[in-house]
Amino acid sequence: MGELTPQLLGLQLVTGIALGAVYALLAVGLSLIFGMLTVVNFAHGAFFMVGAFLGIYFQTLTGSFALSLVITPLVVGSIGMLSERFLVRPLYGRGIDYPLLLTFGLSYVLIESMRVLFGIEGLPSSTPAALRGSVDLGIGRFPLYRLVLIGATATVVMGLWLVIEKTRFGLIIRAGSRDPEIVRVLGVDVAKVWLLVFGLGTAIAGLSGVLAAPTRAVNPEMGITVLAESFVVTVVGGMGSLMGAVVAGLLVGVVFSMTSLLAPEFAELSIFVLMALVLLVRPQGLFGKAGLMG
Amino acid sequence: MNDLRGAPTPLLTPGMTPLLTPALTLIARHRVVSVLLFLLVFPWLMPYEALAVNILIFGLYAVGFNLLFGYTGMLSFGHAAFLGVGSYLTGISIVHAHLHWLLAIAVGVVAAGLVGVIMGHLAIRTRGIYFSMVTLALGQVVYYGFYKAERWTGGENGLRGVTVPAFKFAGWTIDFTNPVTKYYVILGFVAIALGLVSRILASPFGAVIEAIRENEKRAAACGYDVARSKLLVFVLSAAICGLAGSLRALHLSVVPIDSLHYLQSGQAVMMCLLGGMGTFFGPFVGAAVFLYLEDVVTTLTRHWMAVVGTIFMVFILFFPRGIWGSLIARWERATTPSVPT
Amino acid sequence: MSAPPIQSQATNAQADILIEARHISRRFGAFQALTDITVQFRAKQLCAIIGPNGAGKSTFFNILSGAIEPSSGSVLFQGQDITGLAPHEYARRGIAKSFQITNVFKQLSAHENVRVAVQMRHARFDFFSPRARLAGVAQTAQELLERVGLAGLGQKPAGDLAHGQQRSLEIAMALAADPQLLLMDEPTAGMSPEETTVMMDLITELAAERTVILVEHKMKLVMGICKTLIVLHHGQLLAQGTPEDIRANEEVRRVYLGQG
Repeated sequence: MGELTPQLLGLQLVTGIALGAVYALLAVGLSLIFGMLTVVNFAHGAFFMVGAFLGIYFQTLTGSFALSLVITPLVVGSIGMLSERFLVRPLYGRGIDYPLLLTFGLSYVLIESMRVLFGIEGLPSSTPAALRGSVDLGIGRFPLYRLVLIGATATVVMGLWLVIEKTRFGLIIRAGSRDPEIVRVLGVDVAKVWLLVFGLGTAIAGLSGVLAAPTRAVNPEMGITVLAESFVVTVVGGMGSLMGAVVAGLLVGVVFSMTSLLAPEFAELSIFVLMALVLLVRPQGLFGKAGLMG
Repeated sequence: MNDLRGAPTPLLTPGMTPLLTPALTLIARHRVVSVLLFLLVFPWLMPYEALAVNILIFGLYAVGFNLLFGYTGMLSFGHAAFLGVGSYLTGISIVHAHLHWLLAIAVGVVAAGLVGVIMGHLAIRTRGIYFSMVTLALGQVVYYGFYKAERWTGGENGLRGVTVPAFKFAGWTIDFTNPVTKYYVILGFVAIALGLVSRILASPFGAVIEAIRENEKRAAACGYDVARSKLLVFVLSAAICGLAGSLRALHLSVVPIDSLHYLQSGQAVMMCLLGGMGTFFGPFVGAAVFLYLEDVVTTLTRHWMAVVGTIFMVFILFFPRGIWGSLIARWERATTPSVPT
Repeated sequence: MSAPPIQSQATNAQADILIEARHISRRFGAFQALTDITVQFRAKQLCAIIGPNGAGKSTFFNILSGAIEPSSGSVLFQGQDITGLAPHEYARRGIAKSFQITNVFKQLSAHENVRVAVQMRHARFDFFSPRARLAGVAQTAQELLERVGLAGLGQKPAGDLAHGQQRSLEIAMALAADPQLLLMDEPTAGMSPEETTVMMDLITELAAERTVILVEHKMKLVMGICKTLIVLHHGQLLAQGTPEDIRANEEVRRVYLGQG
């Protein structure tokens, strides 16, 4: 292990926050879908993976990372909406495990589809040319892409918060999370809301895939590890809480990153240790409501 | 889990039932013996013996899983941990500690049970979907742990050399390299395990776990310590899946790292659902169908994962009772005299 | 069973206190549901908690029965503090309750519902012996079914029973543990007049052999048969005493009559 300079720590911290930003986005998407539809999307990691693949594909096709950032979530969200409409919706009312199981099966199909389209090895991923290199922020040099990732995530989360708090659609989401029956009674077309929320949640997962692609290997199996990790974030933060998803996501990212630096052997295990601690001390998660799920 | 009350289309016509009912009732009452009689001749029905052995092993795995999922209503996505721990600890006992193979199996089962105690203690603090997420995550912990402990487990390459030398037993020479012999030895263990599962289900505790599945709050109001009961069934389920793992190590002579992977956990879920949760024999049927199908499909296409995923989704949407479960439901409908409401 | 003789005033004073609430308060967020309720319930009596809607009867009942914890104060059963114990601990100590919203094992048969409740006292973790050997348990279950008037319906799935029948099933399940204290939250809710009479007769029978505490908002039903009444209003104890005391109580009359 080399010297632990403040620069090194700072760098690792930023990497951790960038990783955490991806986790936060994933957890937000999961939480949205669960809050509104009471469905745990076991295909969430797969949608992330699809986003990563399509992100690279569209970037190669159009030559623009920015364009791919817009197109990919729309495509992934559409796949999500089709899935909700034809696969998940028939299962409402059958018990909480059925939609979960269905999305699990869906993940298999999504993984294999990417293998068919792009090969079993995956795709090479690299940072877009315009975003390479590092930036001097006065306190040190940091990789530009990581900063962009953090910035993009913050923007999306902020935008999402605005939609949820300030718009009518957001009001429906908040009401529906608390009491789906009331929303129906009030004459809202719940089916349409579910469709859009599922689309939104999966689109966010796809977006996080596009953003994450330059920072890791892109292969059909990447969604599986990320699924476990997003579940850790959800348990730590508490399901159904936007704040919880963001805080827990960042926390988990930083824990992983710092452990990679200080005790690399235990890096993967560290986040699960964190989860175990939360389970022992506060089973409902840091921001979760007691009795809801724990 | 709700049931699907569709229009009854009896598999058995009313005319057939007088003949079949007594026979089927007899079979149902002595389910373990019936299953074992069937399994005695099973290898001769399969294209090759290794597939039959696999079906035995994964049938047991699915039955162990079903104890928790179908009967208690707890959907775990981390059960590969028990299969894998059983395999690895048995393998390590033989390869590194040079223990007798029977002792190695015992070590595998106990180890799986212990892991079940730890995982259960953490996971049972949560309910419903949280439980599924936590068990998935904890299963990954076990995966990473064994992956990294290369010196013991062989890491990415898995553990090799889990061989049992031929030995004499009651005048016979038992040689594991003979697939038919291996089948019957493993059948012996599976028979004992199935007998145990049947006893559990028929015991007072068996009624308790079904009550918990139906209505946890109600079970608690009756005076049952739900958390402790859940932990007990979790550990029993872990031990049975651990035995399946131990047997698998002896069968393959290697322990692949994928034994602990999340997809292996998912396989238990799929087999159970395909066959029929909440039925004794269903998971076995599910395992048999799953493995047979895999055998056939992988010769036709590389895209087995898409095929099985699609089949699984179709079953969830249209046949949630599974193959065996649907057959049983049809038989019950055909034999129960209709009561005018 | 014939109607029991009415207990004399003298023996009342000597009857033990079975369960008591001490300074029970409960708030939900900013809403103060109960304020400083102290009350004692004597053994082998039929007692009712009454009050207008929103008085806090259900909250108080839930605290007594262990479903929720008080924000402050304690519940004592036979002199022991049972505040905050888990629901199954309550049941083991001999406190049984029937829920306001019927809560049975819908997919299990009526007989199995009761059988599993009876089984609790015999075997909880035995995972090896056949439960068919617990013949006494099945027998007791059948007897309980007969007692509550569900004799022929044992094999029907509990979810298929009529509402009133499900209520009776719940009572059979509550009795299965042979409890000293039976708590019932609005036992006649949603019942026809015939069903109500049957239920109230059953309750009177049960009160002869064990302590029964009811929550009811139909005053007429409880006035005639209860030994003691507790009146709640806006989360506070308004009055307690015999039906005559309550009828004569000025405040109670104002609260009830004033509300039309």
